[in-house]
Amino acid sequence: MSIKKLSKDVFKSFVDALIASDQQVIGVKEKVQAKGNRFAFDNLQSADQLRLDYDITLLPPKKYMLPQDETLLTFKVAGESKSKIDNSKLILIGVHPYDMIAINQMDELFSQDQQDNHYMTRRKNITIIACDVATPSKNVFASSMGTATVESGFDILLTDIGDAYVAQAGTDKGEKLLAKASGAVNASDDDLAKRKAIQDKNKDALNKHKLNCKPSDLPGLLEKAYDHPVWEEKAKTCYSCGSCNTTCPTCYCFDVQDQVNWDLKTGQRERSWDGCLLENFANVAGDHNFRKPREARFRHRLYRKGKYVPTKIGGQIACVGCGRCINGCIPDIANPVAVYNRILEDIKPD
Amino acid sequence: MSKPRVAIFDFACCEGCQLQIVNLEEEILDLISVVDVVEWREAMSEQSEEYDIAIIEGSITRPEDEERIKDIRSKAKVLIAIGACATMGGLNKLKNNFQDLEEVKKCVYKDSASMPHLETSMTKAVDEVVPVDFKVHGCPIEKEDFARIIRSLLLGKTPEVPNYPVCVECKKKENVCRWEYGEICLGPIIRAGCGAKCPSASYRCFGCRGYVDNPNVDAAVDVMDKYGLTVDQLKSKMVLFGSKQGPTL
Repeated sequence: MSIKKLSKDVFKSFVDALIASDQQVIGVKEKVQAKGNRFAFDNLQSADQLRLDYDITLLPPKKYMLPQDETLLTFKVAGESKSKIDNSKLILIGVHPYDMIAINQMDELFSQDQQDNHYMTRRKNITIIACDVATPSKNVFASSMGTATVESGFDILLTDIGDAYVAQAGTDKGEKLLAKASGAVNASDDDLAKRKAIQDKNKDALNKHKLNCKPSDLPGLLEKAYDHPVWEEKAKTCYSCGSCNTTCPTCYCFDVQDQVNWDLKTGQRERSWDGCLLENFANVAGDHNFRKPREARFRHRLYRKGKYVPTKIGGQIACVGCGRCINGCIPDIANPVAVYNRILEDIKPD
Repeated sequence: MSKPRVAIFDFACCEGCQLQIVNLEEEILDLISVVDVVEWREAMSEQSEEYDIAIIEGSITRPEDEERIKDIRSKAKVLIAIGACATMGGLNKLKNNFQDLEEVKKCVYKDSASMPHLETSMTKAVDEVVPVDFKVHGCPIEKEDFARIIRSLLLGKTPEVPNYPVCVECKKKENVCRWEYGEICLGPIIRAGCGAKCPSASYRCFGCRGYVDNPNVDAAVDVMDKYGLTVDQLKSKMVLFGSKQGPTL
């Protein structure tokens, strides 16, 4: 796979050419509503809008593979149904390494067992141009989670080395796309050294909250922490608003509801994001809620990230350290590092 | 199967929720293809004493209103309360913050305060007077929400009403949190279903859909401290829709 160098002008022409092509191009833009610099993935109309110097986006890019709300199928009551698959192609520019790793994890989860065709079809049609972090966000702790840099999953990985981007192709699709960047040259040893310096720096610098153990210690730690007081300590001021879930790049739970049309004979099956912190998340038939206490729901999220999901994806910890849950939590209790470190005060990992 | 007979009645309110039904526009044709609307003062002249489903807008604010709603309840098989006034008393409950209603009347109506039609009593949500089978929340209601709930009921299905806060819908829309602007937004304790309309339009949540089943009062107090605000400031934001509010499920 080739590693090229694109001057800022060459990169801009490259992005504008992509926008002019028939594919939808999504990139990180400044959110107009926001006071100060807040960013979101959105449709790009021009390369000038792209802000690869962003710190963090309000929502992770998962919204393009697993939209907030989607129609899964249309049906006739007591009759046949027809799956609705979204085949639109898009290019996603500016995915940070931690978000890329989250997408890699979701790809694994959604292709396991009964493969989710709605997710996987969208995913296959998305080309990802990732980029190394240029500005650390206020609550990022990717360095603690080993997710400050990324090795795979992207089609192209960009690193801003000052006057230019180093662009590494990660797949054949990325290789072909990169070949379209007219004016790109092969990256020199000097460019690669600059890139390595940035990546090495990020491996330590994206660490506003420092986890006092190795991520790989977490499953063993949680094995012994089920009845630890931290769950109640934190959850007593939990609004159960689910903002830690909705903004999380690795939360993928959803709810499915059937809606009928006015003829009362046809309808749609719709899926929407759900969150394990929400009070009715575990409400089942007979109005029984098997995770009714706030602290049980609070604990469940941290167990999903540190213990349950890792068993499904070869031990990878399902928290990538983006810090969005911390940004989104009004009572400031969602910080996974604060919770895990609190447990570490009382319990030593194996 | 004959179509269920539906009557829409209004009590103390601005009639904006009925207007939301009118705002269904061409979808009203779909609505009347599945129900027989027999009374709806805002949209038609006909009246009826016979109906299966009564849809109630507005809150109960006078002794004679109590008699009227009881009469409607006795005739209807199903009673649906629509809008904040009907589901929880709404803005009309502001007056319940005062002990002396004679003073309230004088303040509002001045010289006309003694007119007999202005007789008033403490505001009640519909379910404080008669049993309510379903509630469509909001000030005003969302027309899509109303349509969805009616269709669910016609199928004999219990309509889904969110028991999660507005923050869920607000985050999904990628709004910047109003708390980051230093505003006291009620989103974290208020029932969703509106699509976070106010925060999406750069306003805080006013709380028109009522509290979630189990709002975390401890958190609210703690958060006030954290943001350097007082509980009284929070209460002042809750008075508009939250005065003497009962459960909203």
